[in-house]
This record gives sequence, C-alpha cells and structure tokens, in this order.
Amino acid sequence: MIKTTNLCKSFRTEEVETLALNKVSLHVRENEFVAIMGPSGCGKSTLLNILGLLDRPTSGSYVFAGHEVAKFTESQRTRIRKGNLGFVFQSFNLIDTLTVFENVELPLLYLKVPKSERKDRVMEALGRMKIGHRAKHFPQQLSGGQQQRVAIARAVIPNPKLILADEPTGNLDSKNGNEVMNLLTELYQEGATILMVTHSDHDAQFAHRIVNLFDGQIVTESVNREMTTRE
Amino acid sequence: MIKHYLILFLRNIKKDKSTFLINLLGLSTGLACVLLIYLWVNEELVMDKFHKNHDRIYQVIEHLDFSDGIQTYLETSGPMAEFLAEEMPEVEYATSTIPPEWFGEHLLSVGNNTLKAVGQLVSKDYFKIFSYELIRGDKTEAMTDPNSIVLSRKLANSLFGSIENVIGKLVEFEQNRQFRVSGIFENVPSHSTVQFDFALSTEASKEIPPWTSLQTWNSSGPKVYILVKEGANIPNLTTKIEKVRKNRDENTIRTATLAPFAQLYLHGKYENGKLTGGRIQYVKLFSVIAMIILIIACINFMNLSTARASQRLQEIGVKKAIGAQRNSFIFQFINESVLMAFVALILATVLVWLFLPRFNTIVDKQLTLTLDMPFYITATSIVILTGILAGIYPALYLSKFNALTILREKIRSTSSESWTRKGLVVIQFSLSILFIISVVVVYKQIEFIQNQNMGYEQDQIVKVNIEGTLKDRLQTFISEAKKLPGIENASSTTHTMVGQNWSGTLDWEGKDPKNNTQFQIFGVDYGYIETMGMEIIAGHGFSREFGADSAGIIFNETAIRTMGIEDPIGKTVENGRAKIIGIVKDFHFKSLHDNAEPIFMVLMPEAVKYVMVRIEAGKERDALEALRTFYEDFNPDYPFEFEFLNENFQAQYASEQRVATLSRYFAGLAILISCLGLFGLAAHTARQRTKEIGIRKVLGASVGNVVALLSKDFIRLVLIAIVIATPIAWYAMNRWLQGFAYRIDLQWWILAAAGLVAVVIAMITVSGQSLRAAMADPVKSLRTE
Repeated sequence: MIKTTNLCKSFRTEEVETLALNKVSLHVRENEFVAIMGPSGCGKSTLLNILGLLDRPTSGSYVFAGHEVAKFTESQRTRIRKGNLGFVFQSFNLIDTLTVFENVELPLLYLKVPKSERKDRVMEALGRMKIGHRAKHFPQQLSGGQQQRVAIARAVIPNPKLILADEPTGNLDSKNGNEVMNLLTELYQEGATILMVTHSDHDAQFAHRIVNLFDGQIVTESVNREMTTRE
Repeated sequence: MIKHYLILFLRNIKKDKSTFLINLLGLSTGLACVLLIYLWVNEELVMDKFHKNHDRIYQVIEHLDFSDGIQTYLETSGPMAEFLAEEMPEVEYATSTIPPEWFGEHLLSVGNNTLKAVGQLVSKDYFKIFSYELIRGDKTEAMTDPNSIVLSRKLANSLFGSIENVIGKLVEFEQNRQFRVSGIFENVPSHSTVQFDFALSTEASKEIPPWTSLQTWNSSGPKVYILVKEGANIPNLTTKIEKVRKNRDENTIRTATLAPFAQLYLHGKYENGKLTGGRIQYVKLFSVIAMIILIIACINFMNLSTARASQRLQEIGVKKAIGAQRNSFIFQFINESVLMAFVALILATVLVWLFLPRFNTIVDKQLTLTLDMPFYITATSIVILTGILAGIYPALYLSKFNALTILREKIRSTSSESWTRKGLVVIQFSLSILFIISVVVVYKQIEFIQNQNMGYEQDQIVKVNIEGTLKDRLQTFISEAKKLPGIENASSTTHTMVGQNWSGTLDWEGKDPKNNTQFQIFGVDYGYIETMGMEIIAGHGFSREFGADSAGIIFNETAIRTMGIEDPIGKTVENGRAKIIGIVKDFHFKSLHDNAEPIFMVLMPEAVKYVMVRIEAGKERDALEALRTFYEDFNPDYPFEFEFLNENFQAQYASEQRVATLSRYFAGLAILISCLGLFGLAAHTARQRTKEIGIRKVLGASVGNVVALLSKDFIRLVLIAIVIATPIAWYAMNRWLQGFAYRIDLQWWILAAAGLVAVVIAMITVSGQSLRAAMADPVKSLRTE
C-alpha cells in the first residue's frame, strides 16, 4: 500500500535549514494498523502529512498504491486524496456551519455519489458510530467524543484505501478516547489500513505495529505482540 | 452540489448577521444607484429614436464664422428646405419649422372654449418625415393648405370633447384668424425633444408676425429637417449643402451643414464649429458615478470576506483534504457573492421603487420601473457582474491556501492580504473624498452665480407676455400699471433677459472691414433701462424728454470697448443713422458660462413682446395681486401669467442644479457605504485583537490608549486617501470651473474641509467599535482566546 525510500523533508527559514525527516524508509501493507510515535518535534506529523499527500517530500521516493507520488503537484495529489484517503484530526475539523449529516456527506458530494445512495451510506456510517440520532445537530452541539466519532464517520464514508489519524484522542478524555480507539480497531479488523500518529503509549497499544521516530529518523520498529495475539 | 453551496451561504449569513447586513446595505444601495442611472440613461438614449426613419433624418445647421470664433446655430434660412427638396436628389423630403420653443403658446378657441396650447409652424412634408402618427386625417394632405391646423389627441379632446368628426371643423387662433382642422396626431411621446400640441402651416406664417420675414436667404429663422433617401451618400450630400451658401454669396460667414437629428439631443454641443459633446457628457458622468458607488460597495464585500476568511478556512482545509480542487472553491465563492448580489438586488428594486419619484423630480423625467424582460435581463447581468466583481478577489484569496497550512498552522492573515485590504479602503475613501470636494465646489459655484450682481435687479422684476388687448393698448396698460400700489416702474422689450436674442453686425467709423463682431440686439421701449435697474455710466437712457431718441442707440461697455470708440456719446454709427446716446454698464443676460457680449439697444416699441414690471421689495404679494386684478380687467380673454426674472434665470442652470443635487446624494451614499465597510473592518479588528487589548489593559493601558491604538491604523488610511484624492479633485474641479466665465477660486479650505469631514466621519465610525473593545473586561478578553 505504502512504500517510502529515503524520504527527506527539510524546512528552510531565512537562516536555518531544519531537517524534519531524514531518510525515512517505511513499508505499510494493506490492512495494517501502524502507530507512529515519538517526542514532540520528531517529525511524526510531517511524515503523516506526506503519507496523507497533504505535503511533498523534499527528496526520496513515495509509492502509494503502486504509483510514485513524491513529485506530484498539489492538483494531482488532490485527485488521489479524493476517495482514497480518510483523515481524522486531533481537533476534529468539522465544518461548524454544516450539520453532522452534511459533514459526513461531504466526501460523497465530491465523489458525485447519487443523492439516495448518499443518504443511505451516511446514515449507515453514523449508525455504526452510534451517532445516528445526532444527524441533524451542528458540531457545537456535540461533546468532543461525539465530534470525533462524526469525524471518523466522515473519514471512512468513501471506503478509503488508507485512514490517517493525527492524535485522534488528543483532545478527548480517557473514556471518549477509548471509544475512539475501539472504533479505529473495529475499522482495522474490517480490513482498513490505518496510520496513526500519537503521543500516547496507551493508544499505540491498539496498533499492529509501532514505529518510533526521533529527530526525523526511524529509530525502532516493533510489532505489537499483544495486538497480534488479540487477533 | 449547488444545494450544498446554498446551504453554506444561508448558514454563514445566519452565523455572521452583521457582515451580511453591511454587505446587503452597501450592495443594495450601490445596485439601486446603478438601476436608477440605468433607467435615466435608457431614457436619454432613446430620445427621438422613436421616429421610424430616425437614422435618415438630418437637421440643417449653420456654422457662422465670426471674428472671435465659429458659432453654431441650429437654424438656417427660410428657403433652405424647399431648395434642398428640389435640387438635391438624395433628399426625399425636407421641411421647414418654426419650433415650439420660438412659436410658443397661443390662444385657441372653439366657440366659448378657449385655451392656451404650445404649437409650431411646419411645412407640408413634416408628418412624412417625423413619426407623429396621424390618427385622423391624411399625412400627405394635412399641411398642404395654409389654413390647416393639426391637433394632438389631447388638444382635440380639450377643444371638441372628442376626436371624432373633428376634421374640417374650425379653430380660432388668437381670436383673429380661423384654421380648419386637417388632422389629429397621437399625443407626442415624452421621449420626443419636440413637444407640441398643434401645428400650423409655415405658409400661414407669412401672415403671423414676427415670422413674416423668414422667406429670404439672408434670414435666419426656421429649423430645417431633411429625410434622405435610403443609401444616400451623406458625406457627398454634406459637401454639396456646404456649398449652397457660398454659391449665393461668396462673402458669407454662414456655412450650412448636416447633423443627424436623433443624435443632436445627446451630441449637440459645438465649440468653434466642432462637435464637442453635449448631454452625453452627463450620461457618461453619471454612469461612471453609479459604477463607482457600486465598486465602493463591492470593496466592502471583498474586504469583509477576506477579513473574515478565518471563519471559512477550516471548511476550505477540510474540503481540500478530502479532495476538493481549487476551482470548486472559486466557483463556490463566486456563487455566494452572486447570490449575495441577487439578495441585494431585491432590496435595491424596492429602494428604486421608493426613490423613483424623488429621482424623477431631480432629473426632470417621468421614469417608471417596469418589471419587464429587458429589465430582468439588465438586472441579471448587473447582478452577475457585481457578484463576479465582488467575489473574484475573495474567491482567489480564500482558495489559494493549501489544506496543510490551514489545518496545521492556524493561519490568521497574511501581510499581502492586509495590504490589499488597506489599499482597497484607501481607494474607497479617496473616491468618497473626491465626491465630497466636488459637491462642495459645485454648491459654492452655483451659490456664487446666484448671488452675482447681474447688472440689473432680476429679483424684483416680473415679466408679462404682451397678448390680446395689451398688443393694441400697450402704452395705456403700462402707464396705468405704473400707478398701481407697490409697482415702481414698467416698460417693454422684444426679448426676455434670458436666452437667445437677435444679433447682427454694425458699421462704425474706423471699423476694420474684416471685423464682423456680432452685437446682441435689445429692442426696447422708453424707460426700459430704469425699469430694469441697469446702470447708465454715460449719457442717458431712452426717454421721451429727449426728442431724437428714436434714432438713438445705447451700447454696453463691452461693445464700446470692442468698437474702440473714444468719447462715444454723441457720435454716430451705421453711417450716421444712429446716434450714441448712452452707455450702460455690462449686465448678464445669458448664463454665466459665457463672458459679457457686446450689446446695443434701440427703441422698437412696435416689436416688443414682454412687459417688464418692477415691484417694490417687500410688497410683492400686494403688487402682484393689484396687477392681476388690473390685468384681468384690462385683458379679460387671457389668464394672468407672470414670471420673476430670477426664476427664468435660474432655469439656465437646470443641468448644473441637477448635477449638484444628484452628486450630493451620491456623495452621501459613497461616504455612507465606505463607512459601513470601515465599521465592519473595525469590528473585525477589535475582535481579532481582543487578547492583545486584554494584555495591554492588564499592563496599565487606559481606554484612551486602546481607542487610539485601534483607530490609528484606520485614520492613517483615510489620511492617505486625502493625499491621493485632493490633487485629483483639484484638477477635476478646476476643469469643471473652466466652463464658467464667472467662477469661484478653488480655495484650499474647501479641500481641507472635505478631508476633515472624511476624517471625522471615519473616526466616529471606528471609535465606537474601538471604545467597546477598550471598555471590555480584560479578564474576559484574555479568556476568549
């Protein structure tokens, strides 16, 4: 699904050049749940943004679903993102002028899915996230946990090849956090490929494989035995 | 997708009502201005175009080559029409007319039913050239008999109570001549420059003074129109017509030429023989002003949309992350601004409907708001253009952010964006200041003209037409009128003080043969100069005490200067036929656009047309009442009608007054809309800097400090606008003032005052918002972030 080789990303300010990612080579297969961990500023979000095609590497190769995408323009990347990638953000990023239903429906609008099918799929996704009764509410009327469940529904609705989660529980209390992690685990068990950036050891334990990043480099990679046995 | 955009549009309105209201008010006012001007321009553009053959109708005009430049007249010689119809194969029909503005109002009676109506004299093919449709009678026959009269539907109804069986009946003209009705025409539409209710044959004019003398080539009287054949070569024809006069008299200063009739209304101003414009200048001016107001409103929309961008960025970021392309945002945002403009259009239509009567008064038209297809098409086009104009910048600006920047970095605003916004505010205020300065200058100039010493006492003089019994017993009327209470003096004259006079050349001793100075000629009666309150600076006025005055001539100062005669009193002109008996101080009888012209006055009691009555100041009401009673008794067949000369004089500045009034409104709107935008931006800035204000207050800043901090930036923008607008206004207004021979000096304080007004208004607008932010509890403001 994902294969990067010697991926580098540097940021340049007027005087200093910072290397955020330094020759990162990573291979994620289909139906893997990978957690990326590391201290603040180690480059994990940068890596996630590049893997999510929101950003471009400075050098190196990135093959996504068989295509070399490292040198893709913004418009080409946008085209691949559409329907193939689902994002879950720490701050939920729901559009506050749209209802829960309309937020979840959004990716299907861009995929030009017919109206009747859209409705069925949105209601089904909301049902799965146990939030169907809130379809007509606006994001501000929901709790943080509920908002993140809506965000996950929005991420999964186009049946993406890859779900990227950036600190998905960062803004939630432990109860809501656990619920969100259980939902991601369910999706993984149903066949989704998930890449998650997290600070939390607890959250990382839900993943199948844990990649540790330090100063822009992968320092360790470990298979989560507990998770594997759980399977 | 469209539904999705519509939902977002409505929800964003709900979320930010104040921005919506500011945009709605601004755009709807701007659109209302554009619609009003559209209605007006539309009416101006169709003037005289209703004539079926308007593109083949030409008017014969004349350029007269005087020593001081070429003057253009819209009239030509009496025989011109007949000559052209007979000699020029390109001419299908030609007609000669004494137009309504000269022929004027006359008394018509049928039995005991007597009324006044405006008429004109026309020659036989008039109704074949112009599309005043004959609803009764035959247009080829209607004007062939010199005893024919053709009436409008309205006049026929007023005289006969019906339009049926009127043909062949008699109408009495001025109670001394009968005409037979030969046709009835449909009422003249409002978009005709020629407005008349009846027409007599020019053949009849040979017996109606003073039009009897128009039959020679040397005369200058009728307006002549021709209908050229289809496909006629106009440049060729013009060249041929230009030679007509020279062929008759090699020394003539008159050159006849052609002007397209239907275009004269808008393109009728000639300077030194060249077409230089006309009303089209006002059409252009007001179209530009309306566009500027709309642009000011669009700038509000742009500024508020980009300032409030942060509220939309999250939506853009998320949508981009899930695969929305930039184009879709451009489409979405332009869509929103077009929708906004459409909502504004609805309000604008209501505003137009409300203000149309007032607007009609100002522009002196009867415009109506008809919700028909052309209106819908125009309105839709304006809305789409406005939407694109207002929306394109926000659309490009908002859609350019990439998802990552928005979602990770929480951008606020970029410096280029805030520079653009500042630039736009400067443009708005520059335009507003330009408007304010123009309004003040136009107002001061008009005030100046109205308070000018005209050289005679126009405020106290009333003009009464000489008609009916007055014609026969004028001297009795005048001497009796002078005895009435409150009446100081009275005399009579051939011309009013306003508008065109007779003009002609003169011979005097030592005159350069090439000098063909045109003198304005006033035919007057005894006591005229005294009645008018003009100042005699040498000699004396026409008086019965001096016997030989019938051969006397009185000049104004300019005339004496032009002729260069030393010690003029007692000298003669015209080879001894006229003796100079007096010199009158220069007075203004034309609009103050023009310099004083050389004038002479001669005694012409037989040709006078108006009685001038001078009324004692403060006794106007009683004097007029006494005059009315006396007049009605003296001249029972005619209603007593009078006009103060100053009213007459004011009418010359109708278009300036119109410009003044309209620009006052437009300037008000421009500054109002600009302030709305500033208000929105100030509110936004205050909100954005809430935390900063909190911190400053905690650190000891006073309310005054904070208000100054927040207002400073805006005031600086207004100051920059003043610097930009002032020289432009200076230049433009100086150019406008050049059109007046008598004008105010553009004083620095006008410019300074306009700037000050702008600053004060901006300050009031901004400080309200700043004050609110400054008075807020700092703890609360610190918590808001």
